[in-house]
Amino acid sequence: MIFSELYSAYYNAVAAVLTAVLRGETDEKTLQETVQKYAFSESILTILPALKTEKWQLLNRDMTTPIQHVPSMPLTLLEKRWLKAVSLDPRIRLFDVSFDSLREVEPLFTPNDYVVFDRYADGDPYFDEGYIARFRMILQAVRDRQPLKIESVNRRGQVVEMIISPLRLEYSEKDDKFRLITAGCRYGGVINLARIVFCTPYDGAEFAVCYERDKRSQSVTLKICDERNALERCMLHFAHFEKRAERIDKKHYQVHICYDKSDETELVIRILSFGPLVEVVSPDAFRQLIVARLQNQKGCELF
Amino acid sequence: MSVYNERVKNFEKVRAYMREFYVYGFKSRSAYDEKSARSYDDERRRIESWLGDYMHFVRTSEGKNVFLSIDSRTTVHNPFYKALKAKSFTDGDITLHFILFDILHTPAVVLSLPQILEKIDKDYLCHFRAPMLFDASTVRKKLKEYTEEGIIVAEKSGRTVLYHRAEMQNLPFDADALHYFSEIAPCGAVGSFLLDKQKLHTERFCFKHHYITGALDSDVLAVSFAAMQQKCEVTAVNYTRRAATPQLVRIVPLRVFISVQNGRQYLLAYQAAGDSIKAYRLDYLAQMQLGAPCLQFDTLRARLDAAQPHMWGVNCRENENRLEHVEFTVFAGKNEAYIVNRLQREKRIGTVTKVDDTHYRFSADVYDTSELIPWIRTFICRITQLRFSNRTAENRFKHDIAEMYRMYGIEGGGAL
Repeated sequence: MIFSELYSAYYNAVAAVLTAVLRGETDEKTLQETVQKYAFSESILTILPALKTEKWQLLNRDMTTPIQHVPSMPLTLLEKRWLKAVSLDPRIRLFDVSFDSLREVEPLFTPNDYVVFDRYADGDPYFDEGYIARFRMILQAVRDRQPLKIESVNRRGQVVEMIISPLRLEYSEKDDKFRLITAGCRYGGVINLARIVFCTPYDGAEFAVCYERDKRSQSVTLKICDERNALERCMLHFAHFEKRAERIDKKHYQVHICYDKSDETELVIRILSFGPLVEVVSPDAFRQLIVARLQNQKGCELF
Repeated sequence: MSVYNERVKNFEKVRAYMREFYVYGFKSRSAYDEKSARSYDDERRRIESWLGDYMHFVRTSEGKNVFLSIDSRTTVHNPFYKALKAKSFTDGDITLHFILFDILHTPAVVLSLPQILEKIDKDYLCHFRAPMLFDASTVRKKLKEYTEEGIIVAEKSGRTVLYHRAEMQNLPFDADALHYFSEIAPCGAVGSFLLDKQKLHTERFCFKHHYITGALDSDVLAVSFAAMQQKCEVTAVNYTRRAATPQLVRIVPLRVFISVQNGRQYLLAYQAAGDSIKAYRLDYLAQMQLGAPCLQFDTLRARLDAAQPHMWGVNCRENENRLEHVEFTVFAGKNEAYIVNRLQREKRIGTVTKVDDTHYRFSADVYDTSELIPWIRTFICRITQLRFSNRTAENRFKHDIAEMYRMYGIEGGGAL
């Protein structure tokens, strides 16, 4: 259904090669670059030779083609049905799009066909017109690299004004929140979009181009005891981090995870969720974060 | 012996290897004993061709281990979609594809099969020294396939079938919206296919807590959705770890349950044998095929709707008489409102009540206490009271904490 040659990198690459040839761009370098751009690292060994040797009869040996029009393909039914399904997602309101052309199309799925069962309940307000308007203005500013003057509510409930250079929008599926990654303000860095209550383009001359804060990359090493399917649970749970794993013995494994310092507290509680089946081996400072929590727990005299 | 080809015919094989390299990544070549060494080498080479930037090697006492390491926070496009863009095809397939769409270059060009065949030979293949031969049956089959895909329209004129390309529609999305939904919507691979046809653009979105392995299960997910839309059953092979051999299952898909905290996707489906609704891991299912219509679909889905208020995760025992009560109290100091906020936003089907100025209680009645345990552990350091009706689960919880005291050398720890 989804795994089809119609969507293959090869078809896209050949379409791009034929387009180049129709434009008269037939030099080897251009064609090789085209293949590299649209297909995989080894595709260069297949696509151009197959075309040049007439294995795929689309290109003559003199680098002309019997194809007369720039290759194009209408949207497939699957593509239309997916777009229709997406049109039913409340987050689509954030984008200025119209689905009139898909009126007759059945969605691939509806919101009733799936549930995200562990998403946090305080996600961004996708039905709030003010939020939608600010989202669109911010996205446009990201596109244009346009500095913004914003007012944001901080953790203490105070409104703080700042001038920032918007870089990109980060979305967390778990939190169901957008965050604006910025440069140029000491309060900035990462700002929750839902905390922004006002924004407007800023054209003040005194704003200097700034750079994004460096990520503070850290690492932690865990020892996993493979009981109660802990290995699979743990490896999947931490799959989205850059990581390296090795087997210690038949039952124990070691995993080295790279993370950003700002996510440390979250990582601590995620490791705690595995109980005694995952142990922090190093660094000692991280291990002490777990120890401190356990000591506090002991003080709660649960048993 | 077959020659190595970067493209793949059978996605299942490469699906298994990619998951293994990405999720685990500590196996050496010799540990892949189920498959031949040749097969391992081919799959590894393919994956390296698609995902070379993310592929790493490490030498251990067991040999050279290959693994994929991807920080999905800095990788703005799911790299696993590349595997879905590597479907094999024949020389005839690709040649015919571009010729057909060149002949039918606008919806206004309407031709019969004989007319198309004549053009293929006279306008295209005659230019080659050893022209391919496409018989009427091959071209008809391809046109039928494309008609089913919705990209060619077949219309009858008397007894003749006439073909033209479907209307070219402008995409209702811009590249930013496509990029965003291609990463977060179910079957997002389709969004990625659409994005491939857009002009190259600068990415304005990135993603945190982003699980990407679901991409490998896109086909199973799409067929599950199709079954729900058509209200029919499916057959599939279930590679569950609970059974020694793969099981053929006949089930009625009711709803997909997606976790954004551990990246797993489940199909909640009705199984007639046992009259029960069970959770099937999508990554364990393969070769899913649509089956007969299920007349009870609406009733079965209503059963799942009724069960959901007692499901913390995906366990759906549906037995109201055997609900398990889970209750725990946490301490939240005067300046720790964020703990109360955490309870409120993470409580799902549970309720949170204020006990006094510094204590808050979570409670829920669920089918399976064990599903809550990992979450409750995240409050370690402030749990002051625990009351599970499932005494075994409560004892296990306390035993685990005692084990953690021992593991981390907490003074006086380890004894219950």
